[in-house]
Amino acid sequence: MTTQVVDGTAAGATARGRARGPRSRGKAGGLLSRHWYAWAMCAPVVIVTLVLIGYPLVRGVYLSLTDATEANMGRTIGMNTIPSTYEFVGLSNYTAIVTSGEFLSRLAWTITWTVVCVALHYGIGLGLALLLNRPLRLRSLYRMLLVLPWAVPAFVSAFIWRYLLNGEFGVVNAMLRAAGLGGLDWLDDPFWAKVSVIAVNVWLGVPFMMLALLGGLQAIPRELHEAAEVDGATPWQRFRHITLPGLRPVSSTVVLLGTIWTFNQFPVIFLVTRGGPGGSSEILVTYAYRQAFEGIRNYSGSAAWGVLILVLLIVMAVVYRRALRRQGEAW
Amino acid sequence: MSATDTAGAVIPATDGRGSRSAGASLALHATLVVASLVAVFPVAWLVLTSLKPRDAWQSTTVRLFDDPSLANYAQVLGDTAFPRWLFNSLLVAAMTTVLGVVLSATTGYAVSRFRFPGFRSIMWMLLVTQMFPVAILIVPIYNLLAGLGLINQFPGLVIAYLTSTVPFCAWMMKGYFDTVPVEIDEAGRVDGLTPFGTFWRLILPLSRPGLAVAAFYSFITAWAEVAYATAFMTGDDKYTLAVGLGQFVGQHKAEWGLLTASSVLIAVPAAAVFLLVQRHLVTGLTAGATKS
Amino acid sequence: MRRGISVAAAAAALALAVSACGGEDTPQQSAAPAPSGPAPSGPAAVSGEVTWWDTSDATNEGPVFKEVIADFEAKYPKIKVNYVNVPFADAQNKFKTAAQSGSGAPDVLRADVGWVAEFASLGYLAPLDGTPALDKPEDFLPSPAGSGKYNDKTYGVPQVTDTLGLLYNKELLNKAGHDAPPKTFQELKTFAQDVKSKAGADGLALNVDAYFLLPFIYGEGGDLLDVTTKKITVASPQSVAGLKVVEDLIKSGAAAKPAIQDSYTNAETAFKEGKVAMIFNGPWSNTDNLGGKVFKDNPDNFGIAPVPSGSVKAGAPTGGHDYTVYAGSKNLDASYLFVQFMDSAESQAKIAGKLGLLPTRKSAYDMPEAQGNAMIGRWMEPMGAAVERPWIPEAGQLFQPLVEGYQKLATGGTTSDAMAQDVAKAYQGLLKGWSL
Repeated sequence: MTTQVVDGTAAGATARGRARGPRSRGKAGGLLSRHWYAWAMCAPVVIVTLVLIGYPLVRGVYLSLTDATEANMGRTIGMNTIPSTYEFVGLSNYTAIVTSGEFLSRLAWTITWTVVCVALHYGIGLGLALLLNRPLRLRSLYRMLLVLPWAVPAFVSAFIWRYLLNGEFGVVNAMLRAAGLGGLDWLDDPFWAKVSVIAVNVWLGVPFMMLALLGGLQAIPRELHEAAEVDGATPWQRFRHITLPGLRPVSSTVVLLGTIWTFNQFPVIFLVTRGGPGGSSEILVTYAYRQAFEGIRNYSGSAAWGVLILVLLIVMAVVYRRALRRQGEAW
Repeated sequence: MSATDTAGAVIPATDGRGSRSAGASLALHATLVVASLVAVFPVAWLVLTSLKPRDAWQSTTVRLFDDPSLANYAQVLGDTAFPRWLFNSLLVAAMTTVLGVVLSATTGYAVSRFRFPGFRSIMWMLLVTQMFPVAILIVPIYNLLAGLGLINQFPGLVIAYLTSTVPFCAWMMKGYFDTVPVEIDEAGRVDGLTPFGTFWRLILPLSRPGLAVAAFYSFITAWAEVAYATAFMTGDDKYTLAVGLGQFVGQHKAEWGLLTASSVLIAVPAAAVFLLVQRHLVTGLTAGATKS
Repeated sequence: MRRGISVAAAAAALALAVSACGGEDTPQQSAAPAPSGPAPSGPAAVSGEVTWWDTSDATNEGPVFKEVIADFEAKYPKIKVNYVNVPFADAQNKFKTAAQSGSGAPDVLRADVGWVAEFASLGYLAPLDGTPALDKPEDFLPSPAGSGKYNDKTYGVPQVTDTLGLLYNKELLNKAGHDAPPKTFQELKTFAQDVKSKAGADGLALNVDAYFLLPFIYGEGGDLLDVTTKKITVASPQSVAGLKVVEDLIKSGAAAKPAIQDSYTNAETAFKEGKVAMIFNGPWSNTDNLGGKVFKDNPDNFGIAPVPSGSVKAGAPTGGHDYTVYAGSKNLDASYLFVQFMDSAESQAKIAGKLGLLPTRKSAYDMPEAQGNAMIGRWMEPMGAAVERPWIPEAGQLFQPLVEGYQKLATGGTTSDAMAQDVAKAYQGLLKGWSL
């Protein structure tokens, strides 16, 4: 339903734009006079983005095709001059990454991490949003408490969690032991370390998802639910056929952005497990960072990693958008 | 995917809108209480730790209280540069918030109202900028800012933050503007307003909730960012909170007492900002999110 | 791919080329007097501003360094020192990012001994030979002084040195029937088991960190690399024998099950509370340990001994920090003077006296201020076992493969032999032209 409204807006705007455009002589002049205000309004963002992200991106693509490192990129610092000796090496950085044994296993874990985190963010966020969407005593208190993890800076939360999950002296294990259960090696065992980073990231990310979905729920016209109830639809049917479709516009945005953010979620992994133990919780971004920035910096390698991650995410976004379109979403 | 699992679990509570059985009510509150406890517990522990003596966190036994005092707070506020960092962070977060909101609102309005050549590219561009790993962008952005003479300058940091806040906020603002009826724009034009005038005088005032969302998001991002601030702020008179707190973590030993006390002090303004905007936030995210 | 060494050789050849480019956009820095101008008489005429990035613990150590700076400014009133405390964890990356851009880097950096060769090979550091910064080099202890040298030039002068020792809780060892600390790995194991069975505490807590693994490798005659023959020796029979000692300590239960995450903190916490009798740690932990529950009121209970020896020797890695000067500094003369002053025997003695950090100048040890701190004397014997590390540009990359391997070893995910092979393989990828 929202989709139709949107399409209407878009079409209306286009029609208005045309109608208002002065009868132009040349095509270029016509485009300019018809769209100059839209372009002007986007210009600041576009320019800043192109300079600050676009330039590094283009340069990154170029560097990824060379063997540039910190040691062979020419520069002069005071009395020291380093000659520029890096060379064009074609796609060898990419082949080196893709054929290394680590790549596929890191990619597999990164995808698992992303899917599980986003699914839990969405699932728990939706669950809580559904509860909070009901008339309820203390609703605003619950809302405030549930949102608290978002208000604490993430780097602080990550530290606190590491402290809580400490195997020997941590609070979580102390509680487990007090309950008569054994403690777990939350951060020291490869499997539990993965569980722990996911748990921390879920804790951090649910509040945002919950608020976004709560907003989405409130936008669904109540009459639809009432009409369905009158028709004798079960709660499950109402959820399936009214709530979920009504949420789809919200969901599609937050799931897309959430996937991108989680895929590149550097701080949580880095601060909670430092990629350990034995590199087992390292996702692509943290692994790439370590490969490229520990010791003499490998600029070409880091660029190749960055481009590769970008390509993976663009492919994901394209597929996602196709899927949405098939369901009638416009973008 | 797992949404359906959760949905299954949630359904019983969704039952019976106005007339809820006592059991269902209990289940509803129980679920929310448990969820709230999970959300609050780490934060509560942070507060408890900050009240213990400076080194007491390093203990083999877990205690809720251990000689509670405000000594850590006194030291953070009195003997460290914390007030300076706080001021710097407030400045940076405020600049990021104001500029971020203005920029994302104009962009969001343009992509919401006009179908112009380049519209789709802009939507994609805003998305793609979120995809490139920040860790890898730091060096090139540093060199760009150095070329502009913006290293160790607040405007440099603000510009870097805008590259991550504006794309998301613009996407969201676009969604919000989509829900504002087109008739309002038409009315403005009939009254002889320019497109900018319509946007500025009519649409923006109607979009306060959306603006609040964008503001809170920008604020939190700038408030807690570590990587850019660490790299770009080279003088300690320019440290923001996230960088300054690093000083409590020595090569071998972290001052957890000071770290936790300052963390609480950091979280308070963020929570306060949230309290101020939370009513708007829900409505704002609604509208923003209803349209992608 | 990595041409660090040849590039640096070229850089050294060009060392005299004076260049003005690269980051002149720091107008807030007042320029030092032009070196080519009519030479003003003596160092007292040098003026300008020196920015120093200190990486020491801001809460506990920084204030003492600030005191020494105040002394410097009193002696050279025309030079202003801009003290910036950069957290150790951020400093390496932050310096490199700033240094390569030519803007934002400090004039003087306190660099970990492991960073100097890397920074020097990349052209970031000014050679200090023949400048006031390298003052009375013959007075330096040879092992820390070696960390500042790269390609026969001096790029760093040692500020403090340290190594690992065996720290022990005397009471717990006594309860286990031992009145002296273990001298060999074999004794380490039996003493630890005795503590466990008789004293009601754990015997030994290991810190699962590459640096803390080195004493075991050195003790059996192994090493990570042999720099002179360019050989990777981490998988040599001697090194593997060292790893096996660790593996045995963990498997036999002589060492408590080590924590992987926050390993250092957990070992320290247990030691300070009397839950473990022995740990490996360095002089930087003196204050922390003496504040612990079992040492606070009974400092005599705190024992320091050299690391136990293996079948070949007792050996622990040389650590510490060096003063380095950024090659792009606008105030080289003032920076050299600053380093000279900060690293004088008097300043070192003052720092040693107040913080218990070990001086790098022989003469500083004899000064009353240093002798006033009892800890300094007690670390002399452990320092005797300090082994120089490979001071090569790639040194900073050597620890990550090792720590990942150690983590797997400690959790039973690999064996000593397999771990050594994995690490050696990783080193082959890092070090071009080195043989196994």
